[in-house]
Amino acid sequence: MSPTTTAKHAQVSASRAGSSQSHPLAALGDLLRFMIRRDRVRAPVWVLAVVGIFTAGVGSVVGLYSTPSQLQNYGEISSADEAIKAMAGPGYGLENPTQGAVVMNEMGLYTLIAISLMCLFLVVRHTRTEEDSDRAELVRSAPVGRYATLTAATLWVSGLNLLTAIGVTAGLLAFGLDTTGSLAFGAAAFGIGMVFVGIGGVAAQVATSGRSATAVGGATLGIFFLLRAVGDVGPEWVRWVSPLGWAQGIRPYAQERWWVLLLLATASALLIIGALRLQSRRDLGAGFLRQRQGPAVGSPRLSSPLAMAARLQRGAIIGWCAAIGIAAFFFGLIANLADNLLENEAISDLLVQSGQASPTDLFLATMVLMLALLASCFTVSSVLRLRTDELGGHAESTLAGPVSRARWTGSHLLVSTIGSVVLLLLGGLMLGVGYAVQIGDASEVLPLVGAAIAMLPPLLVLSGVGFALFGMHARLAPLAWVGVAFSVVVGLLAETLDLPQWLRNASPFEHVAAMPAESFAPLALVILLAIAAALIAIGAVAVNRRDIG
Amino acid sequence: MTTAISLQNVVKTFGPTRALDGLDLEVATGEVHGYLGPNGAGKSVTIRALLGLLRPDSGTISLLGDDPWRDAVDLHRRVAYVPGDVNLWRNLSGGEIIDYFARLRGDVNTKKRDDLVERFDLDPRKKSGTYSKGNRQKVALVTALASDAELLILDEPTSGLDPLMETIFQDCIGEVAEEGRTVMLSSHILAEVERLCDRVTIIRKGRAVQSGTLDDLRASTRTSITVSTERPIERLTSLEGVHSARTDDSGHVHFDVDNHQLNAALSYVTGFGVRSLVSQPPTLEELFLRQYGDDVTEDEPEESV
Ligand SMILES: Nc1ncnc2c1ncn2[C@@H]1O[C@H](COP(=O)(O)OP(=O)(O)OP(=O)(O)O)[C@@H](O)[C@H]1O
Ligand SMILES: [Mg+2]
Repeated sequence: MSPTTTAKHAQVSASRAGSSQSHPLAALGDLLRFMIRRDRVRAPVWVLAVVGIFTAGVGSVVGLYSTPSQLQNYGEISSADEAIKAMAGPGYGLENPTQGAVVMNEMGLYTLIAISLMCLFLVVRHTRTEEDSDRAELVRSAPVGRYATLTAATLWVSGLNLLTAIGVTAGLLAFGLDTTGSLAFGAAAFGIGMVFVGIGGVAAQVATSGRSATAVGGATLGIFFLLRAVGDVGPEWVRWVSPLGWAQGIRPYAQERWWVLLLLATASALLIIGALRLQSRRDLGAGFLRQRQGPAVGSPRLSSPLAMAARLQRGAIIGWCAAIGIAAFFFGLIANLADNLLENEAISDLLVQSGQASPTDLFLATMVLMLALLASCFTVSSVLRLRTDELGGHAESTLAGPVSRARWTGSHLLVSTIGSVVLLLLGGLMLGVGYAVQIGDASEVLPLVGAAIAMLPPLLVLSGVGFALFGMHARLAPLAWVGVAFSVVVGLLAETLDLPQWLRNASPFEHVAAMPAESFAPLALVILLAIAAALIAIGAVAVNRRDIG
Repeated sequence: MTTAISLQNVVKTFGPTRALDGLDLEVATGEVHGYLGPNGAGKSVTIRALLGLLRPDSGTISLLGDDPWRDAVDLHRRVAYVPGDVNLWRNLSGGEIIDYFARLRGDVNTKKRDDLVERFDLDPRKKSGTYSKGNRQKVALVTALASDAELLILDEPTSGLDPLMETIFQDCIGEVAEEGRTVMLSSHILAEVERLCDRVTIIRKGRAVQSGTLDDLRASTRTSITVSTERPIERLTSLEGVHSARTDDSGHVHFDVDNHQLNAALSYVTGFGVRSLVSQPPTLEELFLRQYGDDVTEDEPEESV
């Protein structure tokens, strides 16, 4: 190479380096296009699912509550039931309800939560989870600006969030609901989404892996939920500590309070700026929570695939225990507020005549279902560790040792099952304890533990679905989340959506007796267990026939 | 001589890709066998099939006398493996991982382990997520070398090691070979292959194109000759097995000749009064470049062994 070409070469690379430093957003457009390409299935599924389910709910509410007396009736029952307030929101406008106010009470909170989760998951996926792979290094070593990845992820997910918000607004308008209220809910949805874009960005900087970033974000959402619930049934100011409380505090269809949007806007702006600042002070691949050193030699107990599976899932199980334990205790504390309903004589008579269980028992049964649905997220994510193990190359090393495929998969399935049992036991126990503390009588503790453990068979069916899919191909396994999402929708919104019974029956949870409101029905549990066993057998056979890795 | 590994006419396809296309391979017990070939030739696929992780479409595979797809677990007690991409559980320390794999096969030989950890200068306390590539590879190497498996299957085990560690690796494999254990070593590092391997197999596009000792390989290719003679050599290019002959400014004649025609060519040349003659065997690089290159089949059609 001649001196001149060398000099020129040096000049070119210097200006390259210079430009990527002075343009911290260099290559933003390319990264953005790449993210959109990677999400070409996931993004439409999220947006269409959230908007579609919401719109279906609006349609069904509009159909169910079309006369003033129907609306009045709904308003009376709902505003009397304090326990439901904790689960659904303050019920603004229910004193003199419009269809819009009913939609908000039935679907508003769950929709806000779904949008928050979408934003959180997608931001973490494109930032922290990418860094866990070696790809991020490749990307960053190209002339890509320091802030480009985080900014691109923020822009992309904000765009999706905006699309979703427009979608839900259009869904409300399509059924002829009041324009101002519809716009207000759209704004609330967009606002809470942006807050979780920011939280996802910050969590991605703070945590040491994609998984822990998602956990940090999810825990934050859980705390927001509890704070607003406390605010709705107890001291009102607590609601104002929670962005979810702000989003509801915009009061769509009930004398909108637009200024509350400022809170959401400020919080999301601060979070997004904070994430960018943290990013600039952090090494690629590192988190602000430091990685500690580990032991130089392995514990003698870490001597089997089962011990390894337990070790790998220990953190997740502890985290889920904390989440479910706290939530269950809180649900228990507020359960007897449901009995406020009985103070309304008309309703009380109605209940007695129809031979229904007490409102408290109904509420407790719903909470058992909620806890089981939460636990099913653990169950499925835990079975999907098999997929992580395989795609991450760990399965190859394990199976190259004297370990059969049955033993490897069985270990993860066993840990997932034991974890699920523990979560259900703890959930039932803490629900019972919370309730016992409130009413000063512990006689409901054991029945609630029993009610919770009866939810194990549906969890096993979902884990069987995940395992059967995994048996066919590792990349199919995440489809098991469709089963979880479907069960959640049926469990929480079946009435609102007025789903036909055959569709409800497709959820395994639908077949478990709603204890303590209904009495124990063992046959369905046995059938569910048989289905789970069949699915696991299918998975086991399939995994033995296919290539690994 | 017994066979540790034998593949006959093995085919493995991934959709339209024929990763193994009628592969034959024999590794004798007690030898260090080099397994070479260009990127994407099918080395790692062969090894995964040998471990029973992939199921071949057709052909027979025998590992230590048994079928690795059927008897994977029992066979794996006798086999140690270092994968091409070493992926470790990020939040476990290197020491924990080494001991875990040792315990899966039985017991930890703490003395051997500590010795290897020291020789490879590995910090076993670090979480594996924070290891460099070379250090991740060391974890896998220590795991494999600390076992007393009778067969070691190593897929590019040294691609991330520094030269010092490379020497230590070669010493370790030397010791393994002395104990009479079998090693199958896939590698792109020719010096390592030359130093360690008794025999090598070269694979290209899923087929074995060459197999034998390095001397066999050398013998089966060409020698470069530089000669000056009293009278100009006539009609040299018309001789069988002579390639790329040319005369330089000083009158020296350069040509390559296939080794099996070497004798004939030299006798012919001496007829013109040899003043000086230099012969050069092919370097290892030339040898492999020729085998890896696309012209190999047109050039030496008879060579598929
Ligand atoms: N799981 C798979 N699915 C599809 N194709 C595969 C798979 N595994 C390997 N291949 C293909 O099989 C061929 C052989 O790959 P292999 O990994 O064995 O190459 P290799 O000889 O180990 O190369 P290298 O020297 O780069 O490690 C390649 O064309 C590769 O793309
Ligand atoms: Mg390879």
